[in-house]
Amino acid sequence: MSGSTAKRNPSDFLKQVLGRPVVVKLNNGTDYRGTLACLDGYMNIAMEQTEEYVDGKLKAKYGDAFLRGNNVLYICAQKTVKK
Amino acid sequence: MDTSQVEVPLDLIRLSLDEKVYVKCKGDRELTGKLHAFDQHLNMVLEAVEETVKTTYVDETDGEERVKRTKRTMEMLFVRGDSVILVSPPVRTHQS
Repeated sequence: MSGSTAKRNPSDFLKQVLGRPVVVKLNNGTDYRGTLACLDGYMNIAMEQTEEYVDGKLKAKYGDAFLRGNNVLYICAQKTVKK
Repeated sequence: MDTSQVEVPLDLIRLSLDEKVYVKCKGDRELTGKLHAFDQHLNMVLEAVEETVKTTYVDETDGEERVKRTKRTMEMLFVRGDSVILVSPPVRTHQS
């Protein structure tokens, strides 16, 4: 196993990516890029500075956005720029 | 908006109570209206709602696919939570 210590589960990953830039893909194929503000057990997601991409094209921007968990396909952590 | 007091995603909705919100629903429907009430399922009651429905059709003249936007307004609307995809305060910039 690469990276950190022993037992890790999906929740640990999600805690780790809080406040970080993420890509959230929905079941309908839409991508949302923004900062992960918080999420709950249903995988409801609150994001900040969200950009909506449909077929790879930027369609809309939202200051804050709530995504209903049942639509979420995956959450992908973006690489942060090293300082 | 101050999101420092947002600890669970539903707090974001709570902060939007009595404010105008934008709701993206399944079936290419968009709603804007004042949020009166909501619950944990995202069932919502909206006031002074404008609904925009996007439908694609084939233009007979050139065979191209086009998008038609149909709008209608409603005084008061109950939205069943399972059709909700996204909720946002409507301060946003839309690009075509």
